[in-house]
Amino acid sequence: MRPTPTPPPPAELLLDGLISPILLYGGCILGALGVLLALPKRGLSPQIIGALVAALAFGVVLVGMGVKAGRLGLPNFNFYLFATIALGSALRVISHPRPVYAALYFILTILASAGLYVLLSAEFMAFALIIVYAGAILITYLFVIMLATETPTADQVEALSEYDRYSREPVVATVLGFMLVAALTTLMATGVSQLTRPTETAVARDINQLPGRVDAALRSAGLLHADESIGAPAGQESIFLAANDGLPEHVSIAYGNDKSQFRTISSDDPKWPSDLKLSNIEGVGFTLLRDHPGSIEVAGVILLMAMLGAVVLAQKKVELDEKAKLAAQNRSLAAEFLPQNSPLMPPPHDGSPNLREADVHGAPSGFAVASNKVGGAA
Amino acid sequence: MNLLSTLPSTLAQAGFPAPMEPATLYHYLVVSALMFCIGLIGFLTRRNLIIMFLCTELMFQAAGIALIAFSRFHLNHTGETFVIFVLTIAAAEAAMALALVVLLFRRKETLDASSWMQMKG
Repeated sequence: MRPTPTPPPPAELLLDGLISPILLYGGCILGALGVLLALPKRGLSPQIIGALVAALAFGVVLVGMGVKAGRLGLPNFNFYLFATIALGSALRVISHPRPVYAALYFILTILASAGLYVLLSAEFMAFALIIVYAGAILITYLFVIMLATETPTADQVEALSEYDRYSREPVVATVLGFMLVAALTTLMATGVSQLTRPTETAVARDINQLPGRVDAALRSAGLLHADESIGAPAGQESIFLAANDGLPEHVSIAYGNDKSQFRTISSDDPKWPSDLKLSNIEGVGFTLLRDHPGSIEVAGVILLMAMLGAVVLAQKKVELDEKAKLAAQNRSLAAEFLPQNSPLMPPPHDGSPNLREADVHGAPSGFAVASNKVGGAA
Repeated sequence: MNLLSTLPSTLAQAGFPAPMEPATLYHYLVVSALMFCIGLIGFLTRRNLIIMFLCTELMFQAAGIALIAFSRFHLNHTGETFVIFVLTIAAAEAAMALALVVLLFRRKETLDASSWMQMKG
């Protein structure tokens, strides 16, 4: 990396330049209140109000940042759309009592984040994210959710487990989490306002290493004749001259009988192909394979070990716990002892209005029978 | 229609080599911080093992947004490359963690994290 002169760090935090601190911290408090209300709790749990309050807080912070940033620093309007969808569905992931819906909302978060990636012109990563996360990882989650659910008994098909309905210490977690938000945003404002913007693009030079592409692009634009080819003169490393010091780019062309004469084409030429720059996926490829080859090996080993580990873990036979064993025995006995036409079992064709009532009245006696039997056997 | 013709350039924020304002970067970083903390709060409050792992994925995702935003700001692709590794780790973690969850579920027939409070035997 090019060494850049860093300005001396100022004594006070530079938060003021990006958003008014009162607005930011007010937004944090309001957001904490909203998330707290949105979490599932015992007793009264006004989730919709919580979501609205959190959305209001997010809006306040965004407007505060927009007013300070002015017209120049505002992100694209699509940013607001994708950010709202991503954060809203992230909130729903942690507040929805049913795991399957939480996983589906997580897919929505992933899709909105992929939109943010596209806005940041990282198209390859956006697609990779959708394919790997929404396509593979979340499907695995959904399968495990379906595999690892308690078999519902007839009277509680719709019931939620106790551990899904109530959250654990929501107040402490929310307060700590939003203190972290406040600290992070303050420090990031300081850091961001000290960043120096890059003056050159390191990746623009990489197109030097794809002479075939340059050749084809120039040929199809009519800038390169049949008997010419691109080539650097002796002593010149690169086919691009003066690519990065503010002057227009030049490509040197070799022509003549033994390609010993050279001329240059400048990017000022009206016929210069506009698509002659490194695409996102080419840039990522260069960075990944040229700059981080060792990391790819490590990632491959990690994936292999994870695969082996998952297979070994899934094969392992497990003993049921004493308590779980009793519960399972209880359930199978209950199923065995209840005749098909008992009030506990749903009738095959009958309408459902009186089914729930029958369940409520029938349940205690059925379970009493089953537990008596277990007690006798023990 | 004007909107349709400008849509591609609107979507990919003004082409890659153009520099980005620090204030724009800050917008993305705030979204990333918020998503990370939502994931953190979820990890602390939810008691279902599967949802707890889902919340770690949410935190990975927030880190990914920050990495990509910095990569865009500095006009190089190193951040995007690291998101590839984050994806790799997330996939490996999901495979292992979910295998463990299935194992634990077969043992106690519950997904409640607090039923594993005593780690013995």
